Amino acid sequence: MGREQRLYDKVVRITDVYLGPAASRFIDRQVRNHLHKAPEELSENDLYGLIDWIRAAVSLLTEDSDMVEEYTEELAKLINGKQHTRQA
Amino acid sequence: MLPHDAGHSSQKVAEVQAESEAIFRSIGDGAIATDEFGHITRINPMAQRILGLKPKEALGQWFPRILPIMREDKTPLALIERPIVQMFLTGKSVTAKVRYILKDGSSVPVSITVSPIILNGRPVGAIEVFRDITEEQEIDRMKSEFISLASHQLRTPLSTIKTYTHMLADGYFGPLAAPQTAPLQTVITAANTMNELISVLLNIARIESGSIAISTSEYDAAQLVTDVIKQLQITADARGVRLRFIRPAAPANLCTDSLIAKEILANLISNAIKYTPTLGTVTIRVRDLQHSVRIAVHDTGIGIPRQVHDKIFAKFFRAPNAVREETVGTGLGLYVVQGLVTTLHGKIWFRSAEDAGSTFYVSLPKSSVSPGRTADL
Repeated sequence: MGREQRLYDKVVRITDVYLGPAASRFIDRQVRNHLHKAPEELSENDLYGLIDWIRAAVSLLTEDSDMVEEYTEELAKLINGKQHTRQA
Repeated sequence: MLPHDAGHSSQKVAEVQAESEAIFRSIGDGAIATDEFGHITRINPMAQRILGLKPKEALGQWFPRILPIMREDKTPLALIERPIVQMFLTGKSVTAKVRYILKDGSSVPVSITVSPIILNGRPVGAIEVFRDITEEQEIDRMKSEFISLASHQLRTPLSTIKTYTHMLADGYFGPLAAPQTAPLQTVITAANTMNELISVLLNIARIESGSIAISTSEYDAAQLVTDVIKQLQITADARGVRLRFIRPAAPANLCTDSLIAKEILANLISNAIKYTPTLGTVTIRVRDLQHSVRIAVHDTGIGIPRQVHDKIFAKFFRAPNAVREETVGTGLGLYVVQGLVTTLHGKIWFRSAEDAGSTFYVSLPKSSVSPGRTADL
Protein backbone atom coordinates (compact mmCIF):
# COMPACT_ATOMS: atom_id res chain seq x y z
CA MET A 1 0.00 0.00 0.00
CA GLY A 2 2.79 2.38 1.02
CA ARG A 3 4.73 1.58 -2.13
CA GLU A 4 1.67 2.23 -4.35
CA GLN A 5 1.04 5.52 -2.63
CA ARG A 6 4.61 6.52 -3.40
CA LEU A 7 4.09 5.68 -7.07
CA TYR A 8 1.15 8.09 -7.28
CA ASP A 9 3.24 10.76 -5.57
CA LYS A 10 6.05 10.18 -8.05
CA VAL A 11 3.64 10.56 -10.98
CA VAL A 12 2.34 13.83 -9.53
CA ARG A 13 5.86 15.09 -8.87
CA ILE A 14 6.90 14.45 -12.48
CA THR A 15 3.66 15.99 -13.76
CA ASP A 16 4.18 19.07 -11.62
CA VAL A 17 7.29 19.90 -13.68
CA TYR A 18 5.20 20.05 -16.87
CA LEU A 19 1.74 21.11 -15.73
CA GLY A 20 2.47 23.06 -12.56
CA PRO A 21 -0.01 23.37 -9.71
CA ALA A 22 -2.74 21.54 -11.63
CA ALA A 23 -0.68 18.33 -11.60
CA SER A 24 -2.34 16.64 -8.66
CA ARG A 25 -5.88 17.34 -9.88
CA PHE A 26 -4.96 16.32 -13.42
CA ILE A 27 -3.52 12.96 -12.35
CA ASP A 28 -6.39 12.39 -9.94
CA ARG A 29 -8.92 12.82 -12.73
CA GLN A 30 -6.95 10.69 -15.16
CA VAL A 31 -6.68 7.82 -12.68
CA ARG A 32 -10.31 7.99 -11.62
CA ASN A 33 -11.76 8.49 -15.13
CA HIS A 34 -9.61 6.10 -17.14
CA LEU A 35 -8.54 3.46 -14.64
CA HIS A 36 -11.69 3.70 -12.50
CA LYS A 37 -9.79 3.45 -9.27
CA ALA A 38 -8.68 5.69 -6.42
CA PRO A 39 -5.35 7.49 -7.01
CA GLU A 40 -3.69 5.73 -4.06
CA GLU A 41 -4.43 2.39 -5.74
CA LEU A 42 -2.28 3.25 -8.76
CA SER A 43 0.07 0.41 -9.62
CA GLU A 44 2.93 0.02 -12.10
CA ASN A 45 0.74 -2.06 -14.38
CA ASP A 46 -1.75 0.81 -14.56
CA LEU A 47 0.92 3.19 -15.81
CA TYR A 48 0.94 1.68 -19.31
CA GLY A 49 -2.68 2.69 -19.94
CA LEU A 50 -2.45 5.88 -17.97
CA ILE A 51 0.47 7.19 -20.00
CA ASP A 52 -1.50 6.72 -23.25
CA TRP A 53 -4.37 8.84 -21.93
CA ILE A 54 -2.01 11.44 -20.49
CA ARG A 55 -0.16 11.72 -23.80
CA ALA A 56 -3.44 12.22 -25.68
CA ALA A 57 -4.73 14.87 -23.27
CA VAL A 58 -1.48 16.84 -22.92
CA SER A 59 -0.88 16.73 -26.68
CA LEU A 60 -3.97 18.87 -27.09
CA LEU A 61 -2.81 21.38 -24.49
CA THR A 62 0.55 22.05 -26.08
CA GLU A 63 1.90 21.77 -29.59
CA ASP A 64 5.34 21.02 -28.17
CA SER A 65 5.47 17.32 -28.94
CA ASP A 66 9.08 17.11 -27.67
CA MET A 67 7.86 18.23 -24.26
CA VAL A 68 5.02 15.69 -24.36
CA GLU A 69 7.44 12.91 -25.28
CA GLU A 70 9.87 13.95 -22.56
CA TYR A 71 7.07 14.05 -19.99
CA THR A 72 5.63 10.65 -20.91
CA GLU A 73 9.14 9.14 -21.04
CA GLU A 74 9.77 10.40 -17.53
CA LEU A 75 6.56 8.70 -16.44
CA ALA A 76 7.51 5.52 -18.29
CA LYS A 77 10.74 5.30 -16.29
CA LEU A 78 8.58 4.58 -13.26
CA ILE A 79 7.58 1.22 -14.74
CA ASN A 80 10.25 -0.96 -13.12
CA GLY A 81 12.82 1.30 -14.74
CA LYS A 82 11.58 0.02 -18.11
CA GLN A 83 10.93 2.24 -21.08
CA HIS A 84 7.30 2.46 -22.16
CA THR A 85 7.17 2.36 -25.92
CA ARG A 86 4.15 3.15 -27.97
CA GLN A 87 2.81 0.32 -30.01
CA ALA A 88 2.20 0.89 -33.69
CA MET B 1 3.21 -17.29 -44.82
CA LEU B 2 3.27 -18.13 -48.52
CA PRO B 3 3.89 -15.25 -50.93
CA HIS B 4 0.44 -15.80 -52.37
CA ASP B 5 -1.13 -15.53 -48.87
CA ALA B 6 0.89 -12.40 -48.12
CA GLY B 7 -0.33 -10.77 -51.30
CA HIS B 8 -3.89 -11.74 -50.59
CA SER B 9 -3.61 -10.44 -47.02
CA SER B 10 -2.18 -7.06 -48.03
CA GLN B 11 -4.89 -6.74 -50.68
CA LYS B 12 -7.48 -7.43 -47.97
CA VAL B 13 -5.90 -4.77 -45.73
CA ALA B 14 -5.97 -2.28 -48.60
CA GLU B 15 -9.63 -3.07 -49.25
CA VAL B 16 -10.54 -2.55 -45.59
CA GLN B 17 -8.61 0.74 -45.51
CA ALA B 18 -10.31 1.93 -48.69
CA GLU B 19 -13.69 1.00 -47.27
CA SER B 20 -13.10 2.84 -44.00
CA GLU B 21 -11.83 5.87 -45.95
CA ALA B 22 -14.97 5.76 -48.11
CA ILE B 23 -17.19 5.56 -45.01
CA PHE B 24 -15.34 8.50 -43.44
CA ARG B 25 -15.64 10.58 -46.61
CA SER B 26 -19.35 9.90 -46.96
CA ILE B 27 -20.34 11.00 -43.43
CA GLY B 28 -23.03 13.64 -43.98
CA ASP B 29 -21.65 15.85 -41.21
CA GLY B 30 -18.20 17.35 -40.99
CA ALA B 31 -15.66 14.93 -39.53
CA ILE B 32 -12.04 15.39 -38.51
CA ALA B 33 -9.84 12.65 -37.09
CA THR B 34 -6.63 13.19 -35.14
CA ASP B 35 -3.84 10.99 -33.90
CA GLU B 36 -2.87 10.77 -30.22
CA PHE B 37 -0.70 13.88 -30.59
CA GLY B 38 -3.62 15.99 -31.76
CA HIS B 39 -2.46 16.09 -35.37
CA ILE B 40 -5.14 15.89 -38.03
CA THR B 41 -5.07 12.59 -39.90
CA ARG B 42 -8.31 12.86 -41.87
CA ILE B 43 -10.79 15.56 -42.86
CA ASN B 44 -13.88 14.65 -44.83
CA PRO B 45 -15.38 16.67 -47.72
CA MET B 46 -18.20 18.12 -45.59
CA ALA B 47 -15.69 19.40 -43.03
CA GLN B 48 -13.62 20.90 -45.85
CA ARG B 49 -16.72 22.66 -47.15
CA ILE B 50 -17.88 24.02 -43.78
CA LEU B 51 -14.42 25.14 -42.74
CA GLY B 52 -13.09 26.23 -46.13
CA LEU B 53 -10.03 24.05 -45.58
CA LYS B 54 -8.22 21.97 -48.15
CA PRO B 55 -6.79 18.61 -47.03
CA LYS B 56 -3.23 19.80 -47.68
CA GLU B 57 -3.84 22.75 -45.33
CA ALA B 58 -5.21 20.57 -42.56
CA LEU B 59 -3.52 17.16 -42.65
CA GLY B 60 -0.65 16.80 -40.21
CA GLN B 61 -1.48 20.11 -38.50
CA TRP B 62 -2.05 20.44 -34.77
CA PHE B 63 -5.83 20.46 -34.43
CA PRO B 64 -6.24 23.32 -31.89
CA ARG B 65 -4.02 25.60 -34.00
CA ILE B 66 -5.57 24.96 -37.40
CA LEU B 67 -9.07 25.16 -35.98
CA PRO B 68 -9.38 27.49 -32.97
CA ILE B 69 -12.73 27.72 -31.29
CA MET B 70 -14.68 30.04 -29.04
CA ARG B 71 -17.88 29.79 -27.08
CA GLU B 72 -21.27 30.03 -28.72
CA ASP B 73 -21.57 33.60 -27.43
CA LYS B 74 -18.21 34.46 -29.08
CA THR B 75 -16.32 34.73 -25.79
CA PRO B 76 -12.93 32.98 -25.60
CA LEU B 77 -12.78 29.31 -24.67
CA ALA B 78 -9.64 28.17 -22.85
CA LEU B 79 -7.82 25.26 -24.46
CA ILE B 80 -8.49 23.16 -21.37
CA GLU B 81 -12.23 23.67 -21.85
CA ARG B 82 -12.16 22.60 -25.48
CA PRO B 83 -14.41 19.54 -25.93
CA ILE B 84 -11.64 17.37 -27.41
CA VAL B 85 -9.46 18.06 -24.35
CA GLN B 86 -12.33 17.43 -21.95
CA MET B 87 -12.99 14.18 -23.81
CA PHE B 88 -9.41 13.01 -23.20
CA LEU B 89 -9.57 14.14 -19.59
CA THR B 90 -12.78 12.27 -18.89
CA GLY B 91 -12.51 9.43 -21.39
CA LYS B 92 -16.10 10.03 -22.47
CA SER B 93 -17.63 11.45 -25.64
CA VAL B 94 -18.40 15.13 -25.31
CA THR B 95 -21.17 17.00 -27.11
CA ALA B 96 -21.14 20.79 -27.21
CA LYS B 97 -22.14 23.84 -29.19
CA VAL B 98 -19.23 26.13 -30.01
CA ARG B 99 -17.98 28.36 -32.82
CA TYR B 100 -15.07 27.38 -35.04
CA ILE B 101 -12.88 30.32 -36.02
CA LEU B 102 -12.12 30.10 -39.73
CA LYS B 103 -8.91 31.14 -41.44
CA ASP B 104 -10.45 34.41 -42.71
CA GLY B 105 -11.29 35.38 -39.09
CA SER B 106 -15.02 34.75 -39.39
CA SER B 107 -16.68 32.08 -37.27
CA VAL B 108 -19.27 29.38 -37.78
CA PRO B 109 -21.53 27.96 -35.03
CA VAL B 110 -21.36 24.20 -34.85
CA SER B 111 -22.75 21.37 -32.81
CA ILE B 112 -19.95 18.90 -32.20
CA THR B 113 -19.53 15.44 -30.76
CA VAL B 114 -16.01 14.30 -30.10
CA SER B 115 -15.08 10.75 -29.18
CA PRO B 116 -11.86 8.89 -28.52
CA ILE B 117 -10.60 6.41 -31.09
CA ILE B 118 -9.73 3.32 -29.09
CA LEU B 119 -7.61 0.57 -30.62
CA ASN B 120 -6.82 -2.52 -28.57
CA GLY B 121 -7.96 -0.67 -25.48
CA ARG B 122 -5.62 2.29 -26.05
CA PRO B 123 -6.49 5.84 -27.14
CA VAL B 124 -4.89 6.39 -30.51
CA GLY B 125 -6.69 9.57 -31.48
CA ALA B 126 -10.02 11.31 -31.62
CA ILE B 127 -12.81 11.95 -34.07
CA GLU B 128 -14.76 15.20 -34.00
CA VAL B 129 -18.05 15.13 -35.90
CA PHE B 130 -19.86 18.45 -36.36
CA ARG B 131 -22.62 20.20 -38.21
CA ASP B 132 -23.14 23.84 -39.11
CA ILE B 133 -26.02 25.19 -36.98
CA THR B 134 -26.12 28.72 -38.42
CA GLU B 135 -29.62 28.21 -39.77
CA GLU B 136 -30.91 26.53 -36.59
CA GLN B 137 -29.56 29.39 -34.49
CA GLU B 138 -31.21 31.98 -36.73
CA ILE B 139 -34.55 30.15 -36.45
CA ASP B 140 -34.09 29.90 -32.67
CA ARG B 141 -33.30 33.60 -32.46
CA MET B 142 -36.39 34.51 -34.49
CA LYS B 143 -38.53 32.18 -32.40
CA SER B 144 -37.23 33.69 -29.15
CA GLU B 145 -37.82 37.19 -30.48
CA PHE B 146 -41.35 36.24 -31.42
CA ILE B 147 -42.04 34.70 -28.01
CA SER B 148 -40.60 37.74 -26.28
CA LEU B 149 -42.61 40.17 -28.38
CA ALA B 150 -45.82 38.17 -28.13
CA SER B 151 -45.42 37.79 -24.37
CA HIS B 152 -44.90 41.51 -23.85
CA GLN B 153 -47.89 42.29 -26.06
CA LEU B 154 -50.06 39.79 -24.15
CA ARG B 155 -48.99 41.05 -20.75
CA THR B 156 -50.30 44.58 -21.24
CA PRO B 157 -53.97 43.69 -21.92
CA LEU B 158 -53.74 40.93 -19.31
CA SER B 159 -52.73 43.48 -16.68
CA THR B 160 -55.88 45.40 -17.51
CA ILE B 161 -58.01 42.26 -17.22
CA LYS B 162 -56.43 41.40 -13.85
CA THR B 163 -56.83 44.90 -12.46
CA TYR B 164 -60.49 45.24 -13.43
CA THR B 165 -61.51 41.72 -12.37
CA HIS B 166 -59.93 42.29 -8.95
CA MET B 167 -61.71 45.66 -8.70
CA LEU B 168 -64.98 43.94 -9.64
CA ALA B 169 -64.40 41.21 -7.03
CA ASP B 170 -63.54 43.79 -4.37
CA GLY B 171 -66.77 45.68 -5.06
CA TYR B 172 -65.27 48.85 -6.53
CA PHE B 173 -68.08 48.96 -9.10
CA GLY B 174 -70.83 48.02 -6.71
CA PRO B 175 -71.80 44.79 -4.98
CA LEU B 176 -71.81 41.58 -7.02
CA ALA B 177 -74.84 39.37 -7.21
CA ALA B 178 -74.21 35.94 -5.66
CA PRO B 179 -74.32 34.05 -9.00
CA GLN B 180 -71.64 36.42 -10.38
CA THR B 181 -68.97 35.67 -7.73
CA ALA B 182 -67.94 32.16 -8.83
CA PRO B 183 -67.64 32.97 -12.57
CA LEU B 184 -65.59 36.06 -11.74
CA GLN B 185 -63.26 33.98 -9.55
CA THR B 186 -62.81 31.61 -12.50
CA VAL B 187 -61.80 34.56 -14.70
CA ILE B 188 -59.28 35.72 -12.04
CA THR B 189 -57.78 32.21 -11.74
CA ALA B 190 -57.51 31.89 -15.52
CA ALA B 191 -55.87 35.32 -15.79
CA ASN B 192 -53.35 34.35 -13.09
CA THR B 193 -52.55 31.11 -14.92
CA MET B 194 -52.06 33.03 -18.15
CA ASN B 195 -49.83 35.51 -16.33
CA GLU B 196 -47.65 32.68 -15.00
CA LEU B 197 -47.41 31.15 -18.45
CA ILE B 198 -46.32 34.47 -19.94
CA SER B 199 -43.66 34.76 -17.22
CA VAL B 200 -42.37 31.30 -18.15
CA LEU B 201 -42.30 32.19 -21.84
CA LEU B 202 -40.49 35.45 -21.14
CA ASN B 203 -37.96 33.58 -18.99
CA ILE B 204 -37.35 31.12 -21.79
CA ALA B 205 -36.87 33.93 -24.29
CA ARG B 206 -34.38 35.60 -21.92
CA ILE B 207 -32.50 32.37 -21.18
CA GLU B 208 -32.25 31.41 -24.84
CA SER B 209 -31.14 34.86 -25.94
CA GLY B 210 -28.69 35.06 -23.03
CA SER B 211 -30.16 38.39 -22.02
CA ILE B 212 -30.88 37.71 -18.35
CA ALA B 213 -29.41 40.52 -16.30
CA ILE B 214 -27.74 39.20 -13.14
CA SER B 215 -27.45 41.35 -10.07
CA THR B 216 -25.49 39.62 -7.31
CA SER B 217 -25.25 40.31 -3.60
CA GLU B 218 -24.54 38.15 -0.58
CA TYR B 219 -27.50 36.19 0.79
CA ASP B 220 -28.08 33.44 3.29
CA ALA B 221 -29.44 30.49 1.32
CA ALA B 222 -31.61 29.49 4.28
CA GLN B 223 -33.30 32.90 4.16
CA LEU B 224 -33.99 32.54 0.43
CA VAL B 225 -35.59 29.14 1.09
CA THR B 226 -37.64 30.58 3.97
CA ASP B 227 -38.95 33.38 1.73
CA VAL B 228 -40.02 30.88 -0.94
CA ILE B 229 -41.64 28.55 1.58
CA LYS B 230 -43.71 31.48 2.86
CA GLN B 231 -44.98 32.09 -0.68
CA LEU B 232 -45.89 28.45 -1.22
CA GLN B 233 -47.23 27.53 2.22
CA ILE B 234 -50.83 28.28 1.20
CA THR B 235 -50.56 26.03 -1.86
CA ALA B 236 -49.03 23.23 0.23
CA ASP B 237 -51.74 23.58 2.89
CA ALA B 238 -54.46 23.50 0.23
CA ARG B 239 -53.07 20.21 -1.08
CA GLY B 240 -52.49 18.75 2.39
CA VAL B 241 -48.74 18.50 1.82
CA ARG B 242 -46.36 19.17 4.69
CA LEU B 243 -43.40 21.47 4.03
CA ARG B 244 -40.34 20.70 6.14
CA PHE B 245 -37.17 22.78 6.11
CA ILE B 246 -33.92 21.44 7.54
CA ARG B 247 -31.77 24.49 8.19
CA PRO B 248 -27.98 24.41 8.30
CA ALA B 249 -26.43 25.07 11.72
CA ALA B 250 -24.86 28.32 10.53
CA PRO B 251 -25.79 30.78 7.76
CA ALA B 252 -24.97 29.37 4.31
CA ASN B 253 -23.93 32.56 2.57
CA LEU B 254 -23.54 32.81 -1.15
CA CYS B 255 -23.10 35.61 -3.64
CA THR B 256 -25.92 35.25 -6.14
CA ASP B 257 -28.93 36.86 -7.77
CA SER B 258 -31.69 36.46 -5.21
CA LEU B 259 -34.57 36.85 -7.68
CA ILE B 260 -33.26 34.13 -9.98
CA ALA B 261 -32.34 31.88 -7.03
CA LYS B 262 -35.84 32.28 -5.59
CA GLU B 263 -37.41 31.53 -8.96
CA ILE B 264 -35.39 28.30 -9.15
CA LEU B 265 -36.46 27.30 -5.64
CA ALA B 266 -40.09 28.29 -6.19
CA ASN B 267 -40.24 26.13 -9.33
CA LEU B 268 -38.69 23.11 -7.65
CA ILE B 269 -40.72 23.34 -4.45
CA SER B 270 -44.03 24.02 -6.23
CA ASN B 271 -43.32 21.06 -8.54
CA ALA B 272 -42.65 18.89 -5.51
CA ILE B 273 -45.94 20.02 -3.93
CA LYS B 274 -47.83 19.49 -7.19
CA TYR B 275 -46.72 15.89 -7.61
CA THR B 276 -46.93 14.82 -3.96
CA PRO B 277 -50.20 13.24 -2.81
CA THR B 278 -52.12 14.53 0.21
CA LEU B 279 -50.41 13.77 3.54
CA GLY B 280 -47.06 13.63 1.76
CA THR B 281 -44.03 15.66 2.74
CA VAL B 282 -41.70 17.98 0.86
CA THR B 283 -38.36 18.39 2.63
CA ILE B 284 -35.92 21.15 1.77
CA ARG B 285 -32.38 20.86 3.04
CA VAL B 286 -29.56 23.41 2.70
CA ARG B 287 -25.96 22.26 2.96
CA ASP B 288 -23.01 24.59 3.21
CA LEU B 289 -20.10 23.09 1.23
CA GLN B 290 -16.59 24.40 0.67
CA HIS B 291 -17.16 26.27 -2.58
CA SER B 292 -20.89 25.99 -3.03
CA VAL B 293 -24.24 25.80 -1.31
CA ARG B 294 -26.33 22.74 -2.10
CA ILE B 295 -30.09 22.83 -1.79
CA ALA B 296 -32.02 19.59 -1.96
CA VAL B 297 -35.79 19.44 -2.51
CA HIS B 298 -37.05 15.99 -1.61
CA ASP B 299 -40.65 14.85 -2.02
CA THR B 300 -42.60 11.72 -1.31
CA GLY B 301 -44.49 12.06 -4.56
CA ILE B 302 -45.10 10.07 -7.72
CA GLY B 303 -41.45 10.08 -8.80
CA ILE B 304 -39.97 10.05 -12.27
CA PRO B 305 -39.81 6.77 -14.24
CA ARG B 306 -36.22 5.76 -14.93
CA GLN B 307 -36.78 5.53 -18.69
CA VAL B 308 -37.48 9.28 -18.96
CA HIS B 309 -34.69 10.53 -16.67
CA ASP B 310 -32.67 11.82 -19.62
CA LYS B 311 -35.60 13.84 -20.96
CA ILE B 312 -36.73 15.53 -17.78
CA PHE B 313 -35.04 18.88 -18.48
CA ALA B 314 -36.13 18.94 -22.14
CA LYS B 315 -38.46 21.69 -23.32
CA PHE B 316 -42.17 20.73 -23.28
CA PHE B 317 -41.44 17.29 -21.82
CA ARG B 318 -43.74 15.88 -19.15
CA ALA B 319 -43.31 12.42 -17.68
CA PRO B 320 -46.24 10.11 -18.51
CA ASN B 321 -47.13 9.57 -14.83
CA ALA B 322 -47.09 13.37 -14.30
CA VAL B 323 -49.55 13.83 -17.18
CA ARG B 324 -51.83 11.16 -15.70
CA GLU B 325 -51.68 12.75 -12.26
CA GLU B 326 -51.96 16.40 -13.25
CA THR B 327 -53.31 17.21 -16.68
CA VAL B 328 -52.42 20.90 -16.44
CA GLY B 329 -48.79 21.65 -17.14
CA THR B 330 -46.57 23.00 -19.87
CA GLY B 331 -43.45 20.88 -19.46
CA LEU B 332 -41.46 24.09 -19.33
CA GLY B 333 -40.76 24.41 -15.59
CA LEU B 334 -37.65 22.24 -15.30
CA TYR B 335 -36.35 23.51 -18.64
CA VAL B 336 -36.52 27.04 -17.23
CA VAL B 337 -35.00 25.95 -13.92
CA GLN B 338 -32.05 24.33 -15.67
CA GLY B 339 -31.52 27.49 -17.75
CA LEU B 340 -31.64 29.69 -14.66
CA VAL B 341 -29.26 27.42 -12.73
CA THR B 342 -26.81 27.56 -15.62
CA THR B 343 -27.15 31.34 -15.69
CA LEU B 344 -25.97 31.37 -12.07
CA HIS B 345 -23.04 29.03 -12.94
CA GLY B 346 -24.69 26.33 -10.83
CA LYS B 347 -25.50 22.69 -11.35
CA ILE B 348 -28.75 20.76 -11.11
CA TRP B 349 -29.34 17.02 -10.91
CA PHE B 350 -31.86 14.64 -9.40
CA ARG B 351 -32.51 11.17 -8.05
CA SER B 352 -35.90 9.62 -8.52
CA ALA B 353 -37.83 6.45 -9.16
CA GLU B 354 -41.49 6.00 -10.01
CA ASP B 355 -43.69 5.90 -6.90
CA ALA B 356 -40.63 6.48 -4.72
CA GLY B 357 -40.41 10.27 -4.69
CA SER B 358 -37.80 12.60 -6.14
CA THR B 359 -34.92 14.67 -4.87
CA PHE B 360 -33.72 17.60 -6.92
CA TYR B 361 -30.33 19.06 -6.03
CA VAL B 362 -29.18 22.54 -6.93
CA SER B 363 -25.62 23.55 -6.29
CA LEU B 364 -24.85 27.26 -6.50
CA PRO B 365 -21.32 28.63 -6.28
CA LYS B 366 -20.58 30.74 -3.23
CA SER B 367 -18.86 33.22 -5.49
CA SER B 368 -20.51 34.40 -8.68
CA VAL B 369 -17.18 34.04 -10.50
CA SER B 370 -17.02 30.99 -12.76
CA PRO B 371 -14.27 28.45 -12.07
CA GLY B 372 -10.98 29.08 -13.79
CA ARG B 373 -8.67 26.99 -15.89
CA THR B 374 -6.74 25.26 -13.16
CA ALA B 375 -9.91 24.04 -11.51
CA ASP B 376 -10.99 22.31 -14.71
CA LEU B 377 -7.71 20.52 -15.34
